[in-house]
Order: sequence, then C-alpha cells, then structure tokens
Amino acid sequence: MLFTLILKQLKMLSRNKQPLIILLVMPLVLITILSNALGSIMDGEEEQAIQANLVIIDDSSWDQEKDAIVNFLQQQGLTGPALESLLLQFEKNDPAHILKNNILNSDEIKKYIKVEDKQKADMETLREDMKIDGILRIPANFRLDYIETAYFNKQKLLDLSLYLNQENEIRASIISSILTEWQSEYTKFLALSNAGVSPEQILNNQTSVEKIEQVLEANERKIPASIYYTVGMLVMFALYIPSFLAGFALQEVQWKVYDRILLAGVSPTWYTLSIFITGSLVAFIQQIIMLLFGRFALGIDWININAMIITIVSFSVFIGSLSALLTTLQFRTKTDGIANLFNGLVITVFSFLGGSFFSIRDLSETLGKIGDFTPNGATMSAILSIQKGQDLSVIWPFMTVIYVLVIICILLSIVFFPRRGVAE
Amino acid sequence: MLQAINLSKKFKTKEVVKQVNMEMPAGESIGLIGPNGAGKSTTISMLSSLIIPTSGEVLWDGKSITKDPDPLRKKLGVVPQEIALYPELSARENLAFFGRIYGLKGELLETRITEVLMKIGLSDRQRDIVKTFSGGMKRRLNIGAALLHRPSILIMDEPTVGIDPQSRAYILETVKQFVEEGMSLLYTSHYMEEVELLCDKVYIMDQGEIIAYGTKEELKELVSSNQTIELRVNLVNANFEKALTNQLPTAIVRTEEELLTISMPKNEEPLATIFAIAAENNVVITAAIVKVPSLEDVFLHLTGKALRD
Repeated sequence: MLFTLILKQLKMLSRNKQPLIILLVMPLVLITILSNALGSIMDGEEEQAIQANLVIIDDSSWDQEKDAIVNFLQQQGLTGPALESLLLQFEKNDPAHILKNNILNSDEIKKYIKVEDKQKADMETLREDMKIDGILRIPANFRLDYIETAYFNKQKLLDLSLYLNQENEIRASIISSILTEWQSEYTKFLALSNAGVSPEQILNNQTSVEKIEQVLEANERKIPASIYYTVGMLVMFALYIPSFLAGFALQEVQWKVYDRILLAGVSPTWYTLSIFITGSLVAFIQQIIMLLFGRFALGIDWININAMIITIVSFSVFIGSLSALLTTLQFRTKTDGIANLFNGLVITVFSFLGGSFFSIRDLSETLGKIGDFTPNGATMSAILSIQKGQDLSVIWPFMTVIYVLVIICILLSIVFFPRRGVAE
Repeated sequence: MLQAINLSKKFKTKEVVKQVNMEMPAGESIGLIGPNGAGKSTTISMLSSLIIPTSGEVLWDGKSITKDPDPLRKKLGVVPQEIALYPELSARENLAFFGRIYGLKGELLETRITEVLMKIGLSDRQRDIVKTFSGGMKRRLNIGAALLHRPSILIMDEPTVGIDPQSRAYILETVKQFVEEGMSLLYTSHYMEEVELLCDKVYIMDQGEIIAYGTKEELKELVSSNQTIELRVNLVNANFEKALTNQLPTAIVRTEEELLTISMPKNEEPLATIFAIAAENNVVITAAIVKVPSLEDVFLHLTGKALRD
C-alpha cells in the first residue's frame, strides 16, 4: 500500500517537467555557473586532500642490527636464555617497529597518513617529489643505540632525521604531530623503562589521532567555491520538494482522486506517511546526484563520508517532514497559498540566512548564528564543517537543530490535519 | 441495502442537506435529480462515507457506517463528477494504481485491468497517457477506475458531463449493462433522459430536501392528471374551436396561430372526436401530438425551475 502510494508520487514527479527542471536542472546549472564564476574570488588555492604522504627510509632493520645487538649484550655479560629473552623483549619494543606496524598501520591513522617504506633511498631525490609531504630517515644503528640508551644508561645520540614539505602546511603538520608524539613518547619510555612499563602502553594510537585532530582544527581545509556552492544549492533546492509534493496532494483532493484513495481504505495517516517517505527519498536522491555531480564534474573530493551520510539523511528526513506539514496545511486551507508562500518567501529568506548565496557570517555573525537555526543553514554548516576536515562531533549541534525541526513539523502535521475529512 | 435516515449536513451556518431519507435496495437503480446546489453531491459524499453527517445516519445492511465505513467501502464504487485520474499516467497505470490500493495484485490485478479495459472500450489505448485522451475516453476511464474491485453498489455523479453524444451513448449502454448484471446504482444527472433510461426509482432533491420520490410513473402521476394534445392545423376557424369546447366540455382549448393546445383529463380518449370535429368543419390536421408528462415536467412542476437552471 505504502509502496504503491510512494511509487505513484515518484511517477508524478518524474513525469512533470517543472519539478525535474527545478529540482535537478536548475541546481546543477547554478552550481556550475557559481563555482566557475566565483571560483577565482573564493579559492585562494587548490583544494587539497587531507591525507599526507610519508616516506620512511629505514637504513637498517632488526635483522641487520641483530648481530651487533647480540655482541653488545654479550659484552655486557649476558648469555644463554637470559640473552635470548632480552632479545625477544627488545625486538618487541623496537620503536621503529612500533611506529611502522602499530601506529602508522592503524586504521585511525591510515586515514590521515599514507606510508611508503623505502630502504637506502636518496633523500635529496625524494625531496624533489612534491607529492611527498614528509620523509623520516631512521639511521643505520638506531636500534642498537636505542637499546644502549634505554636499557644500559649509555648516552647515545638517537639521530633521526625528519624532512617536512612545507608546500602543504596541514599535511606537514599532521606528519610532524605524529612523529613528534612518537619521539616524545619513546623518549619518555627511556625514563620509564626501568619501571617495567611497556612502550606499547605509552605509544598508543589514540594520542596520535588526537594530535592529528588538533592539527586539523588549527589548520582547517579551505572550502573552494565548488564545494561551497554545491552544498549551498543542494540545501536550497531540496526545499522545493515539499511544495511540489503538497501541490500534487492538493491536486489529488481537487480532482477527487484523494476521495478514491480514502474509499479504498487508505487512512489519512498512511497517506501522509507516504508523502513523508517520498519527500525524504526524493531529497536523498537529489542530494546524492548533486554530490556525485560535484565529485565527477567538478572534481570535489568529499571527505568523511560517514558524517556526510548522517547529515544528508537527516536533512532528507526534515524535507520529508516538511512535505507532510505543507500537505496538511494545504489540505486544511484547500488552496495552494501556503506552498506558494513557502516557495516565494520562506525559501528565499532561509537560503539567504543559511548562506546558500554567500557566507552570511561575512556580513554579520548574528545573522550567521540565526542561519544555523534554519534547516538548510544547519545542514550547510554541518557539511562545510565536515569538508573543512573537522571531526564528526562537530555536526551534532546542527543535527539537533534538524531533528527538533523534524519533530515540530510532525507535531504540527498531526495537529493541523483536518479531522473531519478533506472532502468537507 | 444502503439507507439514509434523517440525514442532515450543515457547513458553518448553512444547512445544505435537510432530513434526507433514502433507500437503495440491492440490485435496484436509483436516480437522484436536482438543480445545481440542491445538495446532491453532499448527499452522495455522506452516503459513500466521505463526509460525516451533522445528524442522521447512513446504514449499510442495518449498521451505521459513521464509525465503521470499511464494510461499505469494500462494496462501493464511486464515479465522481470530476475526472479523478492521474493525467500523467497511462490508462493502465491509473487502473493498476487504483487496483493496488484496493489490495489487488499479481495475476488477479492484471486480469481485472484487462477486463475493465474491455468493458470501457479502452484496450487499444491502455498504454497511452491519460492527458492525451478525449473527454469521452477520460470519462470512460473514470468509470473503469471504480470497477476494479467489482463493487456491488455503484454511485455515479454526473458521469456524462461535457462529452460528445457518441461517448455518452457508449457510457449509458455500459452502465445499463451493469444494472442488468444486478449491480445497485445511484445515478445523478442533469440529463433527465439518462435517469429515465437507467433508473427504476427517482428521488428529486431541491434546496437540500427530498421533495418527491417514487417510480418514474408514480412521479409523473404527481404532475397532474391532465393530458396535453397539441394540434397543428392548416386553417383555424372559430367554429372548429367552438365545436371542440362544446363537444369536449372538460377541455381547455388555446389557439396560437396554427397551433391548437387542448388540455383535458387524462382518462378520456378524445382523438377520434377531435378528428371528427375537424372533418365537419373542413379543418385539416397536419400533426397531432399527445404529450405524456416527462420527469422534466415533474421537476418543473415541483420546483418551479428547469433542471439545468
């Protein structure tokens, strides 16, 4: 039943030129025009990916240094099982191994840093490659020197060298924050090792991820015109969906098709629910098309897909609830005045406050804050925050606004639905 | 049986239906006639459970439909005056939609659609978009959409408004078949001849009230017990008129150029006498019409206005 109603509404939308033009063609055309026309003004630099490229040149390895380490331990008077046991412990606690296999290989860190391992590579040649954001060189005797310093109180210089490509500050900062943290932690370990604390306990990923997030907060990704206007048009044109669906519903009442639907035993609640679901579905499809257009036509690299999905699903649910409310109000008034008012005035004001045309915050911080309380403004702010590289948690205040509005729309739909029947 | 008992409906302060009592026994065809604004559509909406009456009851098989309209709705097909279809969908898609919301699916739905398309004569246009249809085809599909769930009662509100005579004849023939197949019918129309053709009993409504009801013959009896004879003659002379008055003492004779109108009680058979008087007075009768009262006359008599006013 519900599926039949939804399918019929989708057919009505798809077979009318006006909704297709307004919901799909116009936003795509405007995104293209605005992104290109305003791109040179808004975009200071090229959009940059957030994942940093790190090359690790390890001039040695545990296996290569193992003989030297065994020699050193024998010189210290260790033999037999005691030596073997220590060897195992040292191998397990090797900071280079922990960096490469535990820290940089973790799923959380892999999102931010792509690692390439090279041995005996020429650092100077690598420096010329502008795609590389950082190069870490682990010297030949690093493991032996570390063991001597950490466990035998020898004061050896642990001479790691780190090169950072400053062409991209954010990516360089990400690498720097991780490696600084790693260095700092294993230095701490030098002091704590006598207390029997495992380096794995100290060198944990969570700390590294937090450091990266601090870097990202301090150096947000710049939002180019293509992203800004794709999001701006996406949230603005989704607002036209409710008035189309409410308009079709009013036509159904005027044509007496709605009477037929009621006579077939479809309750007004099911009917309104079908409008709600259709609105949500169409909004979701429309937004996906806009985002794909941005990806493939404008080359936008949408990041943090999970947060994006949460945001567009939430906004789609709002569009569904607004569709149900406008339908209810049109049923009550039996005119299309409400939808016309919404299309003509409310969408324009909301789009202005929400920042679809330009960043309203540049004009007034107060207006910007008000805009964050509009559904489109909240969604736009959430998506732009995500695209700046901010954490998922940044969207929750905006999602709270969206869901409060969803609840208000649903409650108003229930309150205003004509109790005595639409036919009267 | 569908019954309306003291049915009233008030919109704000205006009472549009007043104490209407109607009966629609199974298998009968009932006509509901009245001028625009008489309250026919509101009555139909209440009978079909779309509008809740302000007072009174609608009973289906003795049970009120106000609280539980579903048993009636399953048996009811309504053809509204409006073209209640989706113009952007094809004829078949429209029928499929209305069939599905009645719970039909799969092979049964396909069979019913094919059956209905045959009945309404649109099989060859089933894939065409409705907005490309003529008025008559839309009207036929409008009827078809009410038949998919095989209702036992069909309520039709002016189903032939604004269509060409050919389509109208097709629709009337189709509806007549439904009646002959035993379907109960409640039919409203401005065209009195349609009601005369299709309905066994007629309710006449004016200003929200049922002002008369009965079989067609019973209603015509209401009009008067007189008959009217119209004579067209080549030369009217005073003697002929005088002779008529003398020999037919109950007749009222009026002359208007070559047209002579004689009104007299219905139980008399005056034609032979009239022709004899004409021959005696050398008057040639070129045409003679004995007018039987029509429902239109009944309506005019009861309401003082023509049905299409």
